[in-house]
Amino acid sequence: MGRPVAIIGSGQTKHGRRTEITYPDLVREAVQAALENTNITMKDIDGIVYGSMPSMMEGVAMTHFYFADALRAVGMPMMKTETCGTTGMSLAHTGYYWIASGMADVVMVVGSEKMYEGDSQATMSTVMEPYYLRYFLAGAPGIFSMQAQEYMSKYNIPEEKVRDAAARISVDHHKDAFDNPYAHIKVDLSMDDVKNSRIITYPIRLWDVCPNSDGACAVIMASGKKAKKMSKRPAWIKGLGFCGDEYWYGDSDKISWECATEAVKQAYDMAGIKNPRKELDVAEVYNPFTFVELLHYECFGFCGPGEACDLALKGVFSRSGELPCDPSGGTLCTNPIGATALIRVAEAAMQVSGNAGAHQIPGAKLAFAHGLGGLSEFNGIMIMGSEL
Amino acid sequence: MGKRVAIVEVAQLPGAMSDANFLQQLFEVCREVMDKAGMSRKDIGTVVSASSDVFHGGISCANAYYWDSGAGFLKSGTRQDGESLLAFQYGVMRIMTGHYDTALVFGVCKGSENPATDAITHYFADPFYQRQVGLNETFAAALQMREYLNTYGITEEQCAKVVVKNLKNALGNPYAHVKKRVTLEEVMNSKRVMDPLKEMECAPQSEGFVALLLASEERAKKITTKPVWFKGFGSSMDTYYLGDRNLLDGQLRNAAKRAYDMAGITNPWKEIDVAEITEAYAFQELLWYEGLGFCDPGGGGKLIDTGLTERNGDLPVNPSGGVLAMNPYVCRGLYRLAEVSLQIKGQAGERQVDRKVKTGLAHGTHGFAGQFHAVAILKG
Repeated sequence: MGRPVAIIGSGQTKHGRRTEITYPDLVREAVQAALENTNITMKDIDGIVYGSMPSMMEGVAMTHFYFADALRAVGMPMMKTETCGTTGMSLAHTGYYWIASGMADVVMVVGSEKMYEGDSQATMSTVMEPYYLRYFLAGAPGIFSMQAQEYMSKYNIPEEKVRDAAARISVDHHKDAFDNPYAHIKVDLSMDDVKNSRIITYPIRLWDVCPNSDGACAVIMASGKKAKKMSKRPAWIKGLGFCGDEYWYGDSDKISWECATEAVKQAYDMAGIKNPRKELDVAEVYNPFTFVELLHYECFGFCGPGEACDLALKGVFSRSGELPCDPSGGTLCTNPIGATALIRVAEAAMQVSGNAGAHQIPGAKLAFAHGLGGLSEFNGIMIMGSEL
Repeated sequence: MGKRVAIVEVAQLPGAMSDANFLQQLFEVCREVMDKAGMSRKDIGTVVSASSDVFHGGISCANAYYWDSGAGFLKSGTRQDGESLLAFQYGVMRIMTGHYDTALVFGVCKGSENPATDAITHYFADPFYQRQVGLNETFAAALQMREYLNTYGITEEQCAKVVVKNLKNALGNPYAHVKKRVTLEEVMNSKRVMDPLKEMECAPQSEGFVALLLASEERAKKITTKPVWFKGFGSSMDTYYLGDRNLLDGQLRNAAKRAYDMAGITNPWKEIDVAEITEAYAFQELLWYEGLGFCDPGGGGKLIDTGLTERNGDLPVNPSGGVLAMNPYVCRGLYRLAEVSLQIKGQAGERQVDRKVKTGLAHGTHGFAGQFHAVAILKG
């Protein structure tokens, strides 16, 4: 279906609080890094895909104008993709389709956010419509708080166990982040540190929550023919999936979470994956909150319904486990939203290309990347492999 | 290039302010396009929408808000922001790969609930330099128009003629927002909003809900006897700071060349039978004639004088009335495309052009003085 497409390289900024740099320069840093990483020039590139969170985030509308030069897009065809938190994944999908359709050979895909210049929770509150939802779903924690409680009650899992599993995820990821040169929050935590941190929105505590980050990511994709010429170890795109469900938060089951199970089914079918836990070597799950990562393990078939806590506590999803999840530290440690899901794609590609440095999972051949967005309404997936 | 792709049906809502709720309007237009094709929501492969956030509609991640009303429930979909022609391009790409047989492409903009367009376009300006001088799209257009008049000796009357032509065309368009017959004197005497731009030379602020159903060749032939084929697409982005740009020869030439090359068009004036272009300001229609290669640089004024771009002319431009008659900001590109499709199908009613239409062009632009342009070529 379509032409083969591969990721031939990527670039990330150092993510964090980047008050020393303007927003366009932040974008420029990622673009430059990607060009250096792939050792190509703009002459080799046919088009640019860009996206971020909505304009309220940084107070500039339609930022593709403002960043035209930083994106090196002047005189170039461009697409502007935005789908909320899934933006980064939708960006990667746009690049894929542009090339797979035959309308371009090499595309640079860029996502960014400079969250310290705005108020992310105020922005996120405006994702909810002004009549009903906006009054009680304030910001992102409100949504994930309800989803966490729904999870405990649906499978009748003792709160202590879910709490422990979530704490384990937090401890692991914050430690993993030390090996990722781009990660924002790197900290050595104990289980008790997490469990005793202050409540944000019950049952979510401070160390269950991702930070605000300034950051950008650029990924370069190429058609099969070009990829073989331009890269020694391209990461081949094997599967894609995207699905959206109900906007009205109370109208859908967010545990037997259809947009997650359907999106992943599309991707597994395309990639021919039957047993994800066995076949996948590494997964970059979009985990802005610890609890939602547990839920994703189940929705993505990494384990059965209600089993995530036990397996997480056994270390199945830790870096040395059977299916390492988020060896980069994930969204939990670094979250420049418009770039976040694209970072998952870049990290998964680095893993199968063997370029992940200190957080490389040895011998990774098949990797999974994920984005989550809307009011827990969108899930997007991309699967990459070292073989075509 | 991948598989052939066609527009099989289109639906659109009128641009005047409506009491209907945003979601209701979107539902209606999607329902209509599916009914025309004899399809249900189940038959839709993928959904690509076009919209903008917050300033356009008061909601961030608007695609999340309208997802289910736009037939997206449990479907794969995505969105393009700013220029809705990009949503068309993306829908085409998705079918070309063979992943999907059909794509629902729509654009939404509830203009009546938005702040004034220029209050929004002001936020395209960076907060440090351009926003401080009050730059917005009308401001940038006025500078561009002055330069156009000065450089080529184009007259203000020639620019005003575009309004007379397009609003006359709009009288035959049931979806147009502004419907009135105007004279050259009325346009020339309307208030100067930003010298030399006059009030009647600036597009209104309209509602817009437009949906197109795309299909692969096999599916298209089953759905309609009059498929409208995708032939070419091109876009191009210009540099950001207005002072750094050539306002009279920006990126349109580049975007058009890409589309023409893909469609195999070498002489646009001869080969294109109808064009719908985004002229948010009257003079821009003349300037875009030049960028699209309909005439030489500086020839836009003479071209409008010949009357050849009238509805009964050699190359009718904006038979729908164009953006001057209806301006739903984000989705105006898709409205252009819908009109070209209807013209090719021969279903444009009263506004059907006199000549036989085989090849059509749709153009979209947004940003200060046309920072970004997109051009699509369709064929019957």
